[in-house]
Amino acid sequence: MGSVYVYCVIKDDGEAKSFGDMGFGGKAVYTIGDKHFAAVVSNSPLREYEATETEVEVHKRVVAEVMKKHSVLPVAYSMVFKNEKILLLTMRKARKAMKKAIKAVEGKLELGLKVILPNSNLMDKEEYIKKFEIEFDKIAKITDESKKIRLFSQRLALNAAFLVDRGKVEEFSSQVGRLKDAYPSLKIQYTGPWAPHNFVDIRILGRQHGGFR
Amino acid sequence: MFLIDDIVLRLLGISVPGLDTVWLIELIRDFAYKEVGREIKDKIKENRMLYELGEITVEEYRDWEEKLLHKLKFARRVEEMNLNVRMDILRAG
Repeated sequence: MGSVYVYCVIKDDGEAKSFGDMGFGGKAVYTIGDKHFAAVVSNSPLREYEATETEVEVHKRVVAEVMKKHSVLPVAYSMVFKNEKILLLTMRKARKAMKKAIKAVEGKLELGLKVILPNSNLMDKEEYIKKFEIEFDKIAKITDESKKIRLFSQRLALNAAFLVDRGKVEEFSSQVGRLKDAYPSLKIQYTGPWAPHNFVDIRILGRQHGGFR
Repeated sequence: MFLIDDIVLRLLGISVPGLDTVWLIELIRDFAYKEVGREIKDKIKENRMLYELGEITVEEYRDWEEKLLHKLKFARRVEEMNLNVRMDILRAG
């Protein structure tokens, strides 16, 4: 058995699953389980996976497909294991942290929200940042968890991720709609659903292998 | 042979002004390398955002992405080179 690329991890119900030939190089995506958790993988060579749009898109597409039916624990892009045995050993080491993490994200989706200022309005940035801190707190109330993310552009007044119960997505969307109506001159980018990358952080190979936030 | 270098001295609480200055400069330089990497990553995200908003064309987006990824690769290589490691060349061998 050769190396395997891991896309995400789901709960293992003892049944091997297949998600079609949508992995890197058109390879079959399937699960390798240990009766507790199952890694969603495809056979893939040990190589450097560059962060180009085409490559990242393959990873994203697989995770999106798996998310249609399962709650997923995301795995960082470009995680390749030399063989199945090493993967199972790693999963055993991370089992405790994964159990904690799946409890926190089961039945929930990550949604993203960015508020972008027009180029002509950058002078009022600080004022908008304050306004959207209040809006963030209002929206966060209907979510399970929320997080402000680094403002990576001068144009951003808010960059945030929310962990939302599947049953509350509609309510969340209407709150975003309210923001769009209240601030017509700003661009509001509402994205998702994503795997909960911003709310699960398991470091298996580092010192914090039990770490989970 | 046991070599007492600046790290051992610092662990013992002994400060050597000349070495301390070098150490500080190296710290600042390492921080600067990390900062450069972060700035490039920010620009990659901004480029993607502007494309998604329809403010730049697909050609402009791809052109910028290629340039920024090249810069990021270079910044990573510089960081991996670990320029902090000082070798005792004269005593080697």
